Amino acid sequence: MQSDVLSEEIMETDVLVIGGGPAGLMAAINAAEKGASVIVVDKANTKRSGAGACGNDHFRAYIPEFHGSDMESVVEEVWKSQAGWTRSYEFMKTWISNTYDIVRMWDSWGIPMKQNGKWDFAGHTFPGGTFTTLHYDGINQKPILTEQAKKRGVKIVNRVAVFDLIADQDGRISGAVGVHAREDRVITFLSRAVVLSTGGCVRLYSGITPGWLFNRADPPHTTGDGRAMAYRAGAELINMEIPARWAGPKYFARCGKGTWIGVLRDPQDNPVGPFVEKPDRRYGDPISDFYKEVFEDYHKSGRGPVYMDCRGISDSDYKYMMHFMRHEALNGILNHFEEEGIDPKNNPVEFMTYEMSSRGGIYYNERGETSLEGLYAAGDEYFGGVSGASTIGWLAGANAADFVEKRKSPSSNTGKDKALEVANMVKEIRNRKNCPAWQEFNIAINQVMTDYAGPVRSATLLEAGSLHLQRIKKKAYEIMQAGNQHELLHCLEVLNLLDVAESVFSAVSERKETRDKFKRVDYPYKNPFFDNKVLVCRKAADGPVLEWRSLK
Amino acid sequence: MPPIINEDICTGCGICAERCPQDVFFGSERKKPPVVSFPEECWHCYACVMDCPTEGAITLRTPVPMMLNYK
Ligand SMILES: Cc1cc2nc3c(=O)[nH]c(=O)nc-3n(C[C@H](O)[C@H](O)[C@H](O)COP(=O)(O)OP(=O)(O)OC[C@H]3O[C@@H](n4cnc5c(N)ncnc54)[C@H](O)[C@@H]3O)c2cc1C
Ligand code: SF4
Ligand code: SF4
Repeated sequence: MQSDVLSEEIMETDVLVIGGGPAGLMAAINAAEKGASVIVVDKANTKRSGAGACGNDHFRAYIPEFHGSDMESVVEEVWKSQAGWTRSYEFMKTWISNTYDIVRMWDSWGIPMKQNGKWDFAGHTFPGGTFTTLHYDGINQKPILTEQAKKRGVKIVNRVAVFDLIADQDGRISGAVGVHAREDRVITFLSRAVVLSTGGCVRLYSGITPGWLFNRADPPHTTGDGRAMAYRAGAELINMEIPARWAGPKYFARCGKGTWIGVLRDPQDNPVGPFVEKPDRRYGDPISDFYKEVFEDYHKSGRGPVYMDCRGISDSDYKYMMHFMRHEALNGILNHFEEEGIDPKNNPVEFMTYEMSSRGGIYYNERGETSLEGLYAAGDEYFGGVSGASTIGWLAGANAADFVEKRKSPSSNTGKDKALEVANMVKEIRNRKNCPAWQEFNIAINQVMTDYAGPVRSATLLEAGSLHLQRIKKKAYEIMQAGNQHELLHCLEVLNLLDVAESVFSAVSERKETRDKFKRVDYPYKNPFFDNKVLVCRKAADGPVLEWRSLK
Repeated sequence: MPPIINEDICTGCGICAERCPQDVFFGSERKKPPVVSFPEECWHCYACVMDCPTEGAITLRTPVPMMLNYK
């Protein structure tokens, strides 16, 4: 079909927020409160998009009425539990110290943060540890945050996937170009600051069900687009080499294991961890927080499977668990319980370790600033759960608005070149015939990531895999085709995954050591030179550049 | 294939198609029961069922490869 792209379509604003999850919506709300004009552009619909689409139930927080004056112990605990060595202490402190304000704000907007008038902390800790996760009713957080943004005059543009950033003559980020998800339209956004908040990078590695691209614990429509566009614009990424694994129910991939109240047991009913012996609403079973590979290791050694065993749960804890499962977006699983007659009170449910992903993302600080002027980022562009997303998002929004204030002259870049470049690429993808569709490329990327930058990592494997990846990338740009606009969006996601993959390959190659969950079979020891350092990766004219940086 | 629309009671309000994060209902027309264009791309987030104002107009079926294993 002939594609007639309207590259003249332009929208102007002070602050452009790309991605309307908790991070983006909170950034938008705060930037608008500071007087900036704001557009939030979302690939899907901010009412039900991203990792928080249908709710969350645990919010990392410091609440003085609950914790007393001791904020430090909360910071310490979160720092440790979130692979603290990959983040500065200052970042953690700023995050946690702002949570009390955010929590009260959400509560006043109608997201219930208390249970029967009380702060209720539970889960993600062990007996004797510090409680850091506030249990809350998040099922309607997205429609509510969307409403709050609209109330403040924020303009929400749904079903537009942003593909590339626009920089002005001084290298400041001053807008972006997006592609409509349903109509043949390319839209240029001109702004004076940009906040990136497109969530995580799912669909990079092979998922748990062969040939099934969308059975994912996290939302399959967040494909590292923010990381990729930041990388292409020259921004720094961090920790791309560090692997992350999640775990949860077997075959129905879903986050939210901390909401299950049971004991993880082997086939002989022995607990696999030391923390709990019977279901207890205060803890769930924390062993899977500390040791997500427990399921895989039991399986590989033949001692598995491992079950989430809720038998013996008290009636009140059962009610409590069911309540929070609804808020934790586990309704799909509850529906399946019903379909099959599964009752967690009687039926232990097998758990598994899910596929690998990269822990890393865009390098942003506690102000939400990235390495590029005018570009801010928050939330799962790196990590931090819903609390980190909404808190740093909030701060990023304020700082972006401040930046707009200071940046008096509007950018002279009209974005025309970038819009044309994207429009031409889109046209080519749409006009090709008899060429491979996006699925072939996505599966090829999954394959090369899992085989060469997956559980087994060494210089020779990385070199061979990287070569293959470059060939896939070349082909994708030359011959990938889309039959309609929906498939076109998937093609753009593939191009983004390819850039994220490139940064992972180069960062894994650079870290020549073994540390914590990062393993290199050719360097099976910790290199003290890398203590307290993080690995930063950015794209230069002739490929990725890596740099070790001290964590202050 | 998930999701399943009961065209007898669906009012064609379009809420499910408007909100689905995966755009499984791509190509649906206004004021008509939505079309399930990309069932294999469903994330089973349940938003469509939760937000549908007509009880029973839309249901989800869990695909066989995603069945839980339990004892
Ligand atoms: C089932 C489940 C349960 C969870 N439970 C908890 C919990 O209890 N506690 C906790 O702390 N964390 C939890 N998490 C994680 C938490 O939801 C995320 O950390 C949080 O939502 C991150 O917010 P975000 O705004 O950064 O990203 P997201 O919420 O993922 O939002 C990203 C947004 O960007 C949009 N987008 C993506 N690409 C583009 C593009 N190219 N152009 C425009 N828009 C784009 C998406 O459509 C989406 O709206 C859970 C996750 C899941 C999946
Ligand atoms: S369950 Fe979620 S992803 Fe699946 S069709 Fe409904 S809204 Fe879309
Ligand atoms: S939300 Fe319900 S009633 Fe409305 S179109 Fe969808 S299935 Fe039909």
